[in-house]
Amino acid sequence: MKTTLLAALLATALIPAIAMADRLDDIKKAGVLRVAAFDGNPPFGFVDEKTHKIVGLDVDYANEVAKRLGVKLEITPTNPANRIPLLAANKVDLVFANFTITDERAKVIDFSVPYFASGQQFLAKKGTLKNPQQITSLRVGADKGTTMEATLRQKYPSAQVVLFDDTPFALAALRNGNVQAITQDGSKLVAILGALPDKDKYEIPPFSISEELEGVGVPKGETRLVAFLNDTLHDLEKTGSAQTIYDRWFGPTTKAPLPRLFKIGDAHIRAE
Amino acid sequence: MTAIAWLDRPYLLLLGHGLAVTIVLAAVCVTLALALGFALALAGRHRWGLPLTHAYTAAFRNTPLLLQLFFWYFGAMALLPEAARVWLNSPHALWPTPETLAATLGLTLYTAAYFAEDIRAGLRGVPAGQWEAALAIGLRPAQAFRFVVLPQALRISAPALIGQIMNAVKNSSLTMAIGMAELSYTSRQVESATFKTFQAFGFATLGYVLLIVLIETGWQIWRRQRPVWTR
Amino acid sequence: MDALSSWDVIKNNLPWLLWGAWPDGPLGGLALTVVLAAGSALGSAVLGLALGILLAVLRGVPRHALLGTLAFLRAIPVLMLIFWVYFLLPICLHIDVPGVWSVMCALTLISAAYLAHAVYAGIEGISKGQWEAALATGLTHWQTLRLVILPQALRMMAPSFINQWVTLIKDTSLAYIVGVGELAMVTAQVSNRVMIYPAQLFLFAGVLYFALCQGVTWAGNRVAKTAWQS
Repeated sequence: MKTTLLAALLATALIPAIAMADRLDDIKKAGVLRVAAFDGNPPFGFVDEKTHKIVGLDVDYANEVAKRLGVKLEITPTNPANRIPLLAANKVDLVFANFTITDERAKVIDFSVPYFASGQQFLAKKGTLKNPQQITSLRVGADKGTTMEATLRQKYPSAQVVLFDDTPFALAALRNGNVQAITQDGSKLVAILGALPDKDKYEIPPFSISEELEGVGVPKGETRLVAFLNDTLHDLEKTGSAQTIYDRWFGPTTKAPLPRLFKIGDAHIRAE
Repeated sequence: MTAIAWLDRPYLLLLGHGLAVTIVLAAVCVTLALALGFALALAGRHRWGLPLTHAYTAAFRNTPLLLQLFFWYFGAMALLPEAARVWLNSPHALWPTPETLAATLGLTLYTAAYFAEDIRAGLRGVPAGQWEAALAIGLRPAQAFRFVVLPQALRISAPALIGQIMNAVKNSSLTMAIGMAELSYTSRQVESATFKTFQAFGFATLGYVLLIVLIETGWQIWRRQRPVWTR
Repeated sequence: MDALSSWDVIKNNLPWLLWGAWPDGPLGGLALTVVLAAGSALGSAVLGLALGILLAVLRGVPRHALLGTLAFLRAIPVLMLIFWVYFLLPICLHIDVPGVWSVMCALTLISAAYLAHAVYAGIEGISKGQWEAALATGLTHWQTLRLVILPQALRMMAPSFINQWVTLIKDTSLAYIVGVGELAMVTAQVSNRVMIYPAQLFLFAGVLYFALCQGVTWAGNRVAKTAWQS
């Protein structure tokens, strides 16, 4: 009984996944677009205190895509480390979760064109982190399964990195003093800083250690779905919807205003 | 993509390191928890100590370990005065990291509640006649306890204690939630670096099974080898 | 530090902690914890009883295979089994199990593995004489098991079942790893959002778990007592 089960497991694991039907058609047929989004990372994806629904910049983009497909949007909450497993296990069709495009990831999943970009920065108590050289002497909190961790390890191998399941846990550790800094997308840190009850005690030192371009995560080999996403994203930029979405979360009237230095279709972040 | 390709050396080393952390963490917590559990069981033999032991075991056994770990790491630290927090979190020679500290504290206190109950059951299982006989042959109460009652009590509770030691090994996996770099934590790390979900989780799963089998085997060997009169 | 007291924070978030977004959205918080625990308690009672009986009647290789499977299930951490059911079953066997169900499935399997041994020990604990006497009166093996042995064995198993239920309630907290919003997860969520009073919030959740576990123990013991006194 055990051996046959094991044999079955091994056999199915060895056979490469064969794309059965086209995912784009499947989604239209099902009438539902299943999307993984963050539930604890404002302003990209978080649970709204009043409506108890997951909202945010990523969710707005997912909504636009679902609208153009003419299907219902269904959100599955995720933490960073679960994003690729969720796609691999066919639990979701797309991942809209502040998902940095990397060569390694592109080997196992596909990405749309980037719809957001920012640099990897740090949040620390005022005065603890003034220049990148100091990173090696600090305990830095990061999220499991993010590029932040990999970049940090690669560029500052002697830094002590402590990994958490999601950014809010890392932030709690920072506020406790368990770690002296946390590392994240600059845009996310600006939002986090804006929401801190004692924000005057913290700062985001003005340097970044990498550029992060973020796209939609798509199961490997779904070329038609990727093409549809790219067309949609470019169109959202052309019609101004992309700007509207950005302004809703980072515009001048928000808690975390941030100039928009990247437009869909750009190759890099514009210098300020 | 999910084809069986073995993990590269650095990732195997990382997983091996995680396994070592799991072993050390579990061993330290079991040792400390045995001492604490024993103290609680002894306290439970006195009228004033009994409510204390009861309250302790009820509180720690009726709440999830994950919540207790969150409490020690995220909650309790926030309650401490600023100066104590700074001291705890800054590096000191031979002083563990805050993650290690909270993980050890949480797992020890939780495991001790189970040890205390099992040792108490063992002590209760020794017939009163044993006490009386030991005192009758002229042993002092301390001696009677140490040489007559205790060995029998431990023999009664040994299987339950071994089971709790195994639980401690498995429960140590929860400390990954507070940033402790043990086996489950490193398996997630390797998974997200290599995307080899099957291999990374497979290694961790087999690691835990191996540890449990080792404990079981060690226990069986010890049980057979010890003198007949203690069996 | 802030105008908001810890009690205000708990009060403002109380519905979210108790039943999540229900009835407008999915059930969460304490209510989901209860559903998860009750579902896996029921599942593991049925499966544990069946496997325990199998342990008592099977012989030879099948029995060893079953023993091996049960030992394996008891050797791996619940967290790992949840990963396997949630992420690896769909990849390996193309079976998709949604979050809530995969947690329930993992908890049921592990809990049944423990209960099977309790059931088996209960059955074995009934003296051989009872079997012989019942068979002599003309009952079949199955009738003997069902009418004579199991009722007596169940009484001995009651403490194991109650213990297992408490364990199940506590283990539902591990659902956080696959994003299922039960009590531990929503507490962490609220604590992370308001960023003040983490200790008070976790203590509050602890009190809820404590009440639930103690309540189940108390009710279980009471039912067990009255059921067999009549």
